[in-house]
Amino acid sequence: MTAHALENQLIVGATLFVLGMIGFLTRRNLILIMLSAELMLHGVSVNLTAFSKYHGNPQGQVFTIFVLTIAACEAGLALSLILSLYQRRKSLDVFLWGKLGEDDLPVLSGPAAPPPVTHPDPNADLPQLTPAGRMPKTPGGTQAKT
Amino acid sequence: MNWTQENGILLIPLGLAWLSVWWLMPSAKQRPRILGGLAAIASIVMLQMMLLPPAGDLIRNVLFYVFAATAVLCAGLMITDKNPVYAALWFALVTLAVCGLFLLNSAPFLAASTIIVYAGAIIVTFLFVIMLAQQSGSTASYDQQPFQPGLASFGAFVLLGALFFTLQEWGGIDGKDASADARPGQFITVPADIHPNPLSQPPSDNPKEIGSLRVLGRSLFGDYLFAVELAGTVLLIATIGAIAIAPRRSQGTL
Repeated sequence: MTAHALENQLIVGATLFVLGMIGFLTRRNLILIMLSAELMLHGVSVNLTAFSKYHGNPQGQVFTIFVLTIAACEAGLALSLILSLYQRRKSLDVFLWGKLGEDDLPVLSGPAAPPPVTHPDPNADLPQLTPAGRMPKTPGGTQAKT
Repeated sequence: MNWTQENGILLIPLGLAWLSVWWLMPSAKQRPRILGGLAAIASIVMLQMMLLPPAGDLIRNVLFYVFAATAVLCAGLMITDKNPVYAALWFALVTLAVCGLFLLNSAPFLAASTIIVYAGAIIVTFLFVIMLAQQSGSTASYDQQPFQPGLASFGAFVLLGALFFTLQEWGGIDGKDASADARPGQFITVPADIHPNPLSQPPSDNPKEIGSLRVLGRSLFGDYLFAVELAGTVLLIATIGAIAIAPRRSQGTL
């Protein structure tokens, strides 16, 4: 494989990567965003196999197999995330998730915060005696002179 | 001045491609899609003329151009299609074309496994989710209003132009360096007698042997055994995570 063929393959890989990037940046559908990420991975895979052919060793193809593995993991996790997000809002629009807080959750800061809990005195219900008699001796305190 | 004349010709197909992607993006008002399609085809043809002249096997070059054009065209149609179901099907076509490129790069095992994993598992799952989530059939409003299509595609094509320019400086995609064949070797020359471990595959002289199962398996389970184990662990963790994240559904609801 000559450098010409390698370079043509690199151009195709770069074009696929950039098209996937455009899709990732512009589309608002959650599923299309994930598909565009897979398109970028395809561009990278074309580059890796082209270099593998050019150098005449299988390492590029081994790396492509790893890319395939991680892409499968990513697709599974992303689809389960998308399903659980869809169940919350009934829509696949990514703009609905622009802020991380949710509207139906209570606000944790601000004026609606609950007042601080005051611990009641444990001896409140015991009878209060009026103090009488001598001042008791305190150990190490001031000693009363007799 | 000479420099801009030499390299400025690269800007024409890139600008055409940017205009066509921006024009074809779904929008509220109806645009005639034929204009964008013509601009896209013109830019692809101009880029193809700038590619290096084909050398060597004729059938191989024809196959390469067919697969590459299919992949790029279907990718463009995928990111500009309003309907997410059609976008997923275009992505399946991109996958098939990329598998053709893998075959040309003498990676038959990789092509087969990519078809199985992508077209057999990932696309089907994506279609499943799309059809569960959008049962109405009509395209949703958020699919017709992309976010900043002109700006995003402009930035992306600036990146593409930078990549092309770098490749041009490296080897010359316009035929500048067509006479001098680059050395089909390695960037870093490794001494021939160094093997990382006894299972490692020694570099072979037969170019048809690169993608064979024997060489791939020896490389995977010899040089990259630890990475293979890590990848298996990542798969297991991703499976457990997907099961944990996926919503429990009651009867009849998604």
